[in-house]
Amino acid sequence: MSKVRALALFAAVAVASAMGGAAYSLWSRSGATVVDRTLSSQAIVERVYAARLADLNGASQGLGQWRGQVLVVNFWATWCAPCREEIPGFVNLQERYGSRGLKFVGIAIDQPDKVAEFAREFRINYPLLTGGLETMDLLRQAGNRAGVLPYTLVIDRGGNLVSREPGGLKEARLEGIIRPLL
Amino acid sequence: MSSFTSRVLLAVLLTAATLAYGAEPELLEPDKAFRFSARLKDPRSIEVNYQIAPGYYLYRDKFRFVLSPAGAKPGAAQLPAGAKHRDEFFGEVETYRGNISIVVPFELAEAGVPAIRLAVTSQGCADAGVCYIPHEQKAELKLAALGPGAIRSDAAAAPTGEDDRVAALLGGGFWLAVASFFGFGLLLSFTPCVLPMVPILSGIIIGAGQPVTRTKGLLLAAVYVLGMAITYAIAGVAAGLSGAMLSAVLQNPWVLGAFAAIFVALALAMFGFYELQLPVALQSRLSSASNRLPGGHGVGVFVMGVLSALIVGPCVAAPLAGALLYIGQSRDVVLGGSALFAMALGMGVPLLAVGASAGALLPKAGPWMETVKRFFGTLLLAVAIYLVSPFTPLPVQMFLWATLLIGTAVYLRAIDPLPPHAHGFLRFAKVVGLIALLAGVAYLIGAFSGSRDILQPLSGLRATATGDAGHETPFQRVSSLSDLDARVRAAAGKPVLLDFYADWCVSCKEMERFTFSDERVKTRFRDIVLLQADVTANSPEHAALLKRFRLFGPPGIIFFDREGREIQGLRVIGFQPADRFVTVLDHALNFK
Repeated sequence: MSKVRALALFAAVAVASAMGGAAYSLWSRSGATVVDRTLSSQAIVERVYAARLADLNGASQGLGQWRGQVLVVNFWATWCAPCREEIPGFVNLQERYGSRGLKFVGIAIDQPDKVAEFAREFRINYPLLTGGLETMDLLRQAGNRAGVLPYTLVIDRGGNLVSREPGGLKEARLEGIIRPLL
Repeated sequence: MSSFTSRVLLAVLLTAATLAYGAEPELLEPDKAFRFSARLKDPRSIEVNYQIAPGYYLYRDKFRFVLSPAGAKPGAAQLPAGAKHRDEFFGEVETYRGNISIVVPFELAEAGVPAIRLAVTSQGCADAGVCYIPHEQKAELKLAALGPGAIRSDAAAAPTGEDDRVAALLGGGFWLAVASFFGFGLLLSFTPCVLPMVPILSGIIIGAGQPVTRTKGLLLAAVYVLGMAITYAIAGVAAGLSGAMLSAVLQNPWVLGAFAAIFVALALAMFGFYELQLPVALQSRLSSASNRLPGGHGVGVFVMGVLSALIVGPCVAAPLAGALLYIGQSRDVVLGGSALFAMALGMGVPLLAVGASAGALLPKAGPWMETVKRFFGTLLLAVAIYLVSPFTPLPVQMFLWATLLIGTAVYLRAIDPLPPHAHGFLRFAKVVGLIALLAGVAYLIGAFSGSRDILQPLSGLRATATGDAGHETPFQRVSSLSDLDARVRAAAGKPVLLDFYADWCVSCKEMERFTFSDERVKTRFRDIVLLQADVTANSPEHAALLKRFRLFGPPGIIFFDREGREIQGLRVIGFQPADRFVTVLDHALNFK
C-alpha cells in the first residue's frame, strides 16, 4: 500500500515539475520578448506618475494628479482593433466604480483628432491623453519593450503596480483585478 | 491556405501557452514579426521587402518613408494592393500578410552621394489580439554600388534584369498594372513564338469549310482570344495563390510532348489525311446551339484558344516569369487574374486583325487554299519539332528536321521535272523545294555524322583539329543551398555567376549554344567562378535554391560580387544575346 502511495507521490511530483518547467520556460520566453522585467514595479509606477501628456484640449496633464486612486492606465490607438474592443468595457467599469475611487486614463499613440472623434463615438467617460514619441518612450519605460498595444497597467491606491496586461482585457477579468483594490 | 494552417497552429500554441501559465500571449518582437529588408532596385528606386510572420499583418496606409541625407527625396511609394477589410471605425482598411515588396522611387538633388539611408515606419498587429506601436526600421543603401555615372545616366543604360524591369513597371496602381500587361502582351505577339499561332487560327477558320465573312472571322478570332485570355487568367490566379513553379509545369517534357502531338495531329489534318471534326451526333446537337452562336465552330475555336495559351506559355518564359514573380509576391489573386487576362488580350490583338482579314480574304480563294493549308501544316510540324527539341537528342532532332525539309521538297515537286513552259511560280516553288531538299540532306548527313550544332549540321564532318576543349563551359555543379554557400565562399575575390538550368529549359540551351560559346563571353568567364544549378529533377533542395532567389524556375542567372553578396538588379532572366550579356559580365567584373 505504501509502495503504491510512494509511486503516486513520485508521479505527482514528476508531473508537477514537468508542468512547472514548461510553464516557466514559456513564461520566461514570453517575458524576454514582451516585457522588460529588469525594471522594478516601483520604478514603473514612478515613471507613470511623473509623465505629463496633452489632453484632447491640448492642455498638459500630469498623471501624478491621480495618485491615491485606483489607476488603470490604458495605452491604445484608434487604428488598433483589439484596443477598441476593450474600451466599451472600460467605459462600463468607470461608470460603475468611478464613485469608489477608480480612474481610467487612456494614453493614445495616435492623432488627437482621431482620438477625439473616437471618444465622442464611444462616449468615453475618462481622461484621454495623446502624444507622439514621448508616449512611446513612456510605454517602453512602463515595461513594454516590444511596444505592444493595447497595454494596460493597474496601480492601487498605495502606488503599487498590481497588474500589467499586454493585449485585450475582458471586462470581467479587469473587474476581478480592480474590485479587491477599491 | 498554409497561412490559414499556421494561424490555426498559432492559435493552438497560444491557447496552450495560456493554459500553461494563464496570461500573456507569446508574441514576436516587431523586428521578427515584420522582417524588413531593402535593396537598391535601380539607380532611382529602392525595393523594400517585408516578410510578415504568419498571424501578423501590416496596414497598407500606415507606411512612412524617410530618406537621408536631405538631398534624397522619396517619391510616391508603389504599394501593392492588400486584402480589404471593413473596419467599423475607419471604413475600408487594407492589410498585408505574407511577403510584400514596396518600390520607393527617389530623387537625388546632387550626384556623387555615396549612400542613402532609409527609415521606414510601419504599423501592424497580430491576430492574437495586439498591435504594435509605429515601428521604425532602417537600412543603408550604397549608391556607389551601381558604378560611377549610374546615378546621372539614363535608367535604361544600367543593365537591370528583365524580371526587375517587368516588376518595376508594375509597382503602380491596379489599372496601370493591367494596362502594362496588355502592352506586354501586344509586344509578345510580335515574338517568333507567338507568330505560329496565327496559322492555327486561320487554319480553324479554313477548316470550317464554309464561306467566312469578315465579321465571322473577327468573332471567331475573338472567341479564340477569349479562350486564351481565360487560360492565362487562370494561370495568373494560380500564381497568385500558390507561386508554384508554373513555368516548370508547363515546360515539363510530357506536357510539351503532348502539345507537340497535338500540333502533329493538326498538321496531318492540314495535309488532308483526315477531316478534323466532332462526332456527327455531337455536331448536330452543337450546330443547333451554334446557330445562335456567332461562329459555326465557336466552342472548337474557344478550346483552341485555351490550348494555344498553354502552348505559347513555355515560349514566353522570361516575361511570364517576371509577371508571375510579381503576382506571386503580391499574392493578389484578383490582380494576377486580371493582369494575365489583359496580357492575353494584348497578345490577341494581331490575331484579331488576322482573323478579320482572313475571314475577308478566304471566301474569294480557290485552289491556293490547299497550298496554304499545306504550308500551315508544315509550320505546325516545325513547331512540334521545336517544342520537343529541348529534351530530344540532337541527332534525332536533326533527323526530324531532315524529314520535314525533304518532305516539303517533295511536296514542292523539287524532284519532279518541270513542264516545258512552266509558269514562273512553279519555277520559284522548285527553287524553294531544292533548297529545302539540300538543307534536309545536310541535316540527314549531320544526324548520321554526329554533328553537335543544329545551325551547322555538317560541322561533324570538319576535321576536329580545334578540339572540343573550348566547347564545354567550365561550370561547377551546385545542388543545394549549403553547396552554393560553400562554393561562393571558396570563390573569395572572384565574382560568381550562378546559372539555373534544366533540361527542359529552351532558353537555357539557347544561352549555352549562342551566348556562352561567344569568344568575348568565354574570355570574361576566365575571371568568374561559374556555378550551375541543374534543377531538372526539381527536388526540395532545388526548390529551396530557387526560392532563395525568388525564381519560379530556370532560366535565371544570378551574380555575386567579390565578397559573395548578390549583385542586386543584375539578374539575367531568359535568353540574352552575347552583345548584351558581355556588358552584364563587365558590370559584374567591375563591381566594387
